Amino acid sequence: MTIEKVEDRTAASSDKAAAAGAGSRDIRARRGLLLSKNVAFRRKLFSWSSRSLLLLITATSASAVMFIFFYVVKEAIPFFLQRGFAEFFLSTRWYPSREPPEFGALAIFFGSAMVSLGAALFAVPVGVAAAVCLSDILPFKARQAVKPAIEILAAVPSVAYGFFALVVFAPLLQESGGKILAACALLFFVPIAVLSAIAIGGMAASRLSRENAGVWRWIIASVIAAAGLAAAWRISASISGVQISSGTNAMNVSLILGIMALPTVISVSEDALQAVGRELREASYALGATRAETIIRVVIPAAASGILAAALMGLMRAVGETMVVWMASGNSAKIPSPFYNYLEPVRTLTATIAGDMGEADHTTGSARYHVLFAMAACLLAISLTCNAVSELIARRARRKMAGE
Amino acid sequence: MRIETRKLLDKSFSGAGWISVFLMVAALAIILLPIAWRGAGAFVFRATVEHRRMMLELFGVGDPAEVSAETAAAAEARRPIYDMLARFRAELSAMPVADRRRMAGRLAQLENALRDLLGPLPGDPIPVLPRQRYGQTRWDRALKKLETVLFRETWDYSDPTRMGRKVMVPRAEDFKGTSLEPFFADVKMRVADMLRPKLAFYWRFLTDESRDSHFFGGIWPEMLGTIYLTIGAAMFAVPMGIISAVYLTEYAGDDRLTGALRTFIGALAGVPSIVFGLFGLAFFINTMKVSQSKSVLAGSLTLALLILPTIIRASEEAIRAVPAAYKEAALSLGAGKGRTIITVVLPAAMPGILTGIIISMGRAAGETAPIIFTAAVSVGDPLSLLETLSQPTPALPWNVYNMCTEHQKLDELRHVQFGMVLVLVMVVLALNVAAIWLRARISRKLKG
Repeated sequence: MTIEKVEDRTAASSDKAAAAGAGSRDIRARRGLLLSKNVAFRRKLFSWSSRSLLLLITATSASAVMFIFFYVVKEAIPFFLQRGFAEFFLSTRWYPSREPPEFGALAIFFGSAMVSLGAALFAVPVGVAAAVCLSDILPFKARQAVKPAIEILAAVPSVAYGFFALVVFAPLLQESGGKILAACALLFFVPIAVLSAIAIGGMAASRLSRENAGVWRWIIASVIAAAGLAAAWRISASISGVQISSGTNAMNVSLILGIMALPTVISVSEDALQAVGRELREASYALGATRAETIIRVVIPAAASGILAAALMGLMRAVGETMVVWMASGNSAKIPSPFYNYLEPVRTLTATIAGDMGEADHTTGSARYHVLFAMAACLLAISLTCNAVSELIARRARRKMAGE
Repeated sequence: MRIETRKLLDKSFSGAGWISVFLMVAALAIILLPIAWRGAGAFVFRATVEHRRMMLELFGVGDPAEVSAETAAAAEARRPIYDMLARFRAELSAMPVADRRRMAGRLAQLENALRDLLGPLPGDPIPVLPRQRYGQTRWDRALKKLETVLFRETWDYSDPTRMGRKVMVPRAEDFKGTSLEPFFADVKMRVADMLRPKLAFYWRFLTDESRDSHFFGGIWPEMLGTIYLTIGAAMFAVPMGIISAVYLTEYAGDDRLTGALRTFIGALAGVPSIVFGLFGLAFFINTMKVSQSKSVLAGSLTLALLILPTIIRASEEAIRAVPAAYKEAALSLGAGKGRTIITVVLPAAMPGILTGIIISMGRAAGETAPIIFTAAVSVGDPLSLLETLSQPTPALPWNVYNMCTEHQKLDELRHVQFGMVLVLVMVVLALNVAAIWLRARISRKLKG
């Protein structure tokens, strides 16, 4: 009888899926044991109560997010009751300390969107390229060497990034912004020019003639490359005269936020690329595709949804970041003119909350205090939605992968 | 396309991948190197005699006899300079009125610059602020201040199409034809004798209290505040996190409730850090009233919420990685479920859990936004353990922000700012490296 009981227990607990049912089966097994009813009851009570205690604690930690949502929204409601929705979302006039105060947050929303978009523009291409490199191109040893760099990038505190942006990078931009921009433009356009020259040259040559394709290829490619390089040079030369009047601007912040979002983008999209599996890759190689063709035509499309989720998470990281934007965005609550001008200072939701609470703190109960909670509520809504969407995408992608 | 083209494209594609990895590593280096290099300047620098005098008088460090001998030597070197000034002052009173007024203004400017460089002039009353009681303590700062003694800064607006241009006018020209004209060449020649720079290793930067809002001394209050906040956050988050992970892995069934719990915990990880700060203010301070206003306790609770999801996730993974055979062996020996978890599963999972805890402590140490409204102040004394329940504290991340944006003399204290950032980054990275090392050990052990 004892042996039977032990077997029963083992079977019940080792089977994870049936873990929930384990309790009841356990008890059934115990009933066979030679225990008094009293002891059996006490044991049952103990196991039940400890289990519910654990559940209670888990539920507490899980409900923290509900609590946060509840309290932020609760503090935000008085603002909307007092001032309505239209001004907050549609006006760009942000003068909270004036008499009468104005709480138009459109420019601040715009600033947040602008820097996050800028960060994504940098982080997504570089991050996805790096993830591809890590999962498909780099040899194992090199990958082991790069991984810690990514972890360090993720671990450096945001205030250190902000410090760098404000104390090192901003003066540099102010002093020789044009040259830096020109160098970046060169760095961006030259590889594109060379790549497209090779591709177009190759395609055109194989169309033109069969016999002298090699020669033609080189001629066309070098002509296109020369033209492309000349264009890149012109562009960067024209940029190099730009004077940046303030180093604390949207571009500075976007770049730093992009760097901060890189680890997220890289690790999530690398997971997606890894999940594609060897079979697809090997099938593509077997059909004669090169590694680049395999990656672009097969691996990336198969991992597209995972990469999308990575991009969303990177975006979210940038939206929610406080210290960098507070320190280095210039904190000017107006829409730059023209609206895509990244060289002007902007102001974001997070920076406004962090910066204005100090002054609003003392007048708890005023619209000035509650408007910051309204912003936090919007921020929370945005990030929770992003989170949910990326989770959904990732889950669907996993199911699709499993289905194949 | 021909095969050569395709191969070439393939190569250049790989090149693009390499470039992006290189960009990432380069970005890391570009950000960390200036911080490391200039941050090291807070610890190792050429210190002047003023530094040694200050250390002796404010912190009681150094050999009194040696320092007083050196101060005397420096004073000896300074005497000719001061004599020159005194002579000029006498000369001034004999000048015609218009000249006298102009020269007196220039002299006052010069004297202020000189006070900045060397400390109070002879005959000055002893200033109240420590920062005015001493000259420049660092040789690099002293050389900058020497410039302001030698040159006067004016702005040239003669070209209306451009922004104003800074022009440095030698003060020697201002005093042309007076007895003070050779003064400047003399100051320049003697500055090393007057300040006696020597290489100093100021390790006590970590453990000294700060004097006169970080003009002198170290960053101990900030260090201590960060330690309190980090450990406090871990104290609240670790038990909850581990228990939640145990429940989720060992007890929870595959039902709706578990799914909801997991979703909520995942959502908690996505909440922006500033929102945690607002919540901490609205809930822990304004509603629960854990303390009158900002306190270490409220900050720790807020940070605990922030790191909770990380700890839960890491512990879950670690518990799942425990081989089923361990559990089965324990159960077959007759241990109950609870006993199995406490005596077998958790010890086996402990290194993994510890890794998660260390990483999240690194995160808590570096986070600024959640403690702005709940725990951080810019100036304060180191707290005792009991005071953490009710008092706010300076903390490294907050003070980095504060010192480089709001300090009244932020340009002059770059070395302290960089030192603080370096210490913060080193603390966080050390925690992370410890975690990486621990994880490598675990994976080695699992491989056998």
